[in-house]
Amino acid sequence: MKRREFIKTGLSGLAAIAVGSVSLPHLFRFEAFAAQRSIDLVMDAALVEMVDGSQVFHWLFGTAASGPSFPGPVIFATAGDAITLNLANRLNEPHAFQIVGTGILSPTIGPGQTRSLSFSAPAAGTYLYCDPLAAPVNRVLGLHGALVVSPASGNTPYGSPTPAVQQLFNDLGTTPQFPQNALSPAGWQPDRFRIWLQHQIDPSFNARAQADYLAGRPSTLASSELTSKFLPRYFTINGKSGTFSAHDPTVALEGSIGQPMLVRLLNAGLFTHSNHLHANHFYVIAVNNLVQENVLNLDSQILQPLDRVDWLVPFKRPPDIAGDENLPLRTLIANELGLRISGPNGSPGFPQSPLVYPMHCHMEQSQTAAGGNYPQGSVAHFNFLGDLDGTEFPNTM
Amino acid sequence: MATAHIPRGVMLPAQVPEYFKFVCPPSFGGRNPDPQPPTFSFRRDLLVGIDLTLPDGGRIPMWIIEDPDNKDKGRTFPSAPIRVPLNALVNADVNCQGGTHTIHWHGIEPTPMNDGVGHTSFEVSGHYIYQFQPRHAGTFFYHCHKNTVLHFEMGLYGLLLVDPPKPAGSTVEGPPYPIGKPGYVAAFSPSTDHVIPYDVEAFWVADSIDSRWHTLDHNAFMQKCSAEDPVNPADFSKNGFFNDFRPDIFILSGLARRKSDPTAFRAAESPLVAPTLRVGQTLLARTLNADYLIQRYTLGLDAQVIAMDGHALGVPPTEQYSHPIPLPSGTPFLLTSAMRRDLIVRPTKAGSYPVTIEFLNQITGQLLYTARTSIKVTL
Repeated sequence: MKRREFIKTGLSGLAAIAVGSVSLPHLFRFEAFAAQRSIDLVMDAALVEMVDGSQVFHWLFGTAASGPSFPGPVIFATAGDAITLNLANRLNEPHAFQIVGTGILSPTIGPGQTRSLSFSAPAAGTYLYCDPLAAPVNRVLGLHGALVVSPASGNTPYGSPTPAVQQLFNDLGTTPQFPQNALSPAGWQPDRFRIWLQHQIDPSFNARAQADYLAGRPSTLASSELTSKFLPRYFTINGKSGTFSAHDPTVALEGSIGQPMLVRLLNAGLFTHSNHLHANHFYVIAVNNLVQENVLNLDSQILQPLDRVDWLVPFKRPPDIAGDENLPLRTLIANELGLRISGPNGSPGFPQSPLVYPMHCHMEQSQTAAGGNYPQGSVAHFNFLGDLDGTEFPNTM
Repeated sequence: MATAHIPRGVMLPAQVPEYFKFVCPPSFGGRNPDPQPPTFSFRRDLLVGIDLTLPDGGRIPMWIIEDPDNKDKGRTFPSAPIRVPLNALVNADVNCQGGTHTIHWHGIEPTPMNDGVGHTSFEVSGHYIYQFQPRHAGTFFYHCHKNTVLHFEMGLYGLLLVDPPKPAGSTVEGPPYPIGKPGYVAAFSPSTDHVIPYDVEAFWVADSIDSRWHTLDHNAFMQKCSAEDPVNPADFSKNGFFNDFRPDIFILSGLARRKSDPTAFRAAESPLVAPTLRVGQTLLARTLNADYLIQRYTLGLDAQVIAMDGHALGVPPTEQYSHPIPLPSGTPFLLTSAMRRDLIVRPTKAGSYPVTIEFLNQITGQLLYTARTSIKVTL
């Protein structure tokens, strides 16, 4: 994959804004935003293309400069920063802004109105923002996004880590169970993170909102109807599905052995996910902003509606590879890394290097699009690019 | 209307082969590319069709993974449990009939060509020898990972148990330990090198079935493969219903009940589902959600969670950031698909203690069925 090329084009799954004292993480530096104290957020309509090419109407957050995005732009902040949002409603019914799990809530914003909301960034962690009105209608039709709050100091993602989380992060790169990559400083590097904002779409409800929008009237969609009849046909991570999410640079976990990565999971929809990561068990370090006292090491994660869960993916050498654990993988599995499996019609074939694994939801309906087309749903890739000593595997760009 | 348009993504020219592999995985077969001398080998065939018999005599077509060297006991749903010793160098010779398949060893973490996922490696054509070396003792499972939404539902799965070594002097058979009988399990216990004994073993592998799905073809609702454009909208299947799971049959470790049938699961049907033990003995209950619903487990006596997803809580070096979890009588816990919890029960009083598994809709949370079984404790 050519991540640099992808980033240059600016076509990744997530838009981003930095606010206050924080700067945009490396992955998002193509974005045109400078850190600012005040953000103009617009709520507007857009057509979002599904993985099978169908067009689905949405209500979305966006910025005046770049337009609506799906999901809304990630807001990056530092704990305690003063933030002002100027919220403009370009839709036909009242809307609002809330940060789930906090007391941060805007006044209701009527059609055509702009209202401001000032608050201090909450404690470091992963937050879901959304429109809480007509719950869950406005959120499910697309009005949601992620807020990522960093701590002012420390070597973990939190201002007040539990002893277990502090110990885990202290051990990264300094203990035999977490050897560090030769090219990386010990410990977790704050730029090594991903956001997986998962969502589900039942286009029949979006079509109802679209009909109202085109007629110039407020939405008539009742929350009770949505919650009782919601049957999603598309499943997204950062607004993308299937092969598009798996290869999106803001979704795919990428690195070499010994380069741990943080993953921030959020569920904006109504379907309970069960996210299964191949190749490494992950450490569950925070659940709904509660830093964990008992840090579980799992391969499958329940993610209910509105949940926010932080994983530390250790990027350990996959532990169950047969053979001598002291041999570098480029020696132990040289044939696999060198293999190209032939494709149809005399094509040059499919290389088996670098090592690619999936993360997918195991509630497998979520692996479909339009009722089938497995695996064009809620899926990500987990890519190991090289050995612990810094040597890259073949085909790694 | 002047609304914005957000594309589904952009496939760069250099990515076309990767996208093609994702949509239409290549086929491969034969020996492992990097073979190691095995210390533990077995064979499996898939797929084999069997009928699941309901208490009223009704039959549901299932697909299973068969043990060709044990055909009498190997033709079951779920597919027969596989037990391997910790650290064994495992070779699994998998023979595929009637199209390509894979086996994914869920929770085991080998190389991609041994991980059994088509779109990140290949699908098996003919036979292939998967190879891995499990370095955590615990509860895992195996399943076909092709058109998984259908193949997992159809029954192409079974338990995969990794057994720790027994202490010196133990006369227990194994590892691998006999199913349901005494054995040893990895659990936090510094004084015994983090291995503890159990006397009785139970399996609560809970599943549900949408019988509408059980008449479909292997490749139902798959996207067509286009050599030119792997994401051509014209190649997407349009009218599938794999997003719409409406279970009408509920399963506990292969025993079935219709939705309208509240009959409890009994020891006479399977002691693995309704175990019996004496006061002072230790029960190890292994749970797995092999379903697409949320499951809520509640035990009518005190228990302890000793392991989750095949990793023993609290055991150094990689699990030292956790600890075992007490589970007082009546305290429910949730499992979503693929999650496992291993429970230890040490009853102090004789009696029959209820165990319920409630199946909840994964969108509405509505209770669809309550499976009831029990733990019988004698003096």
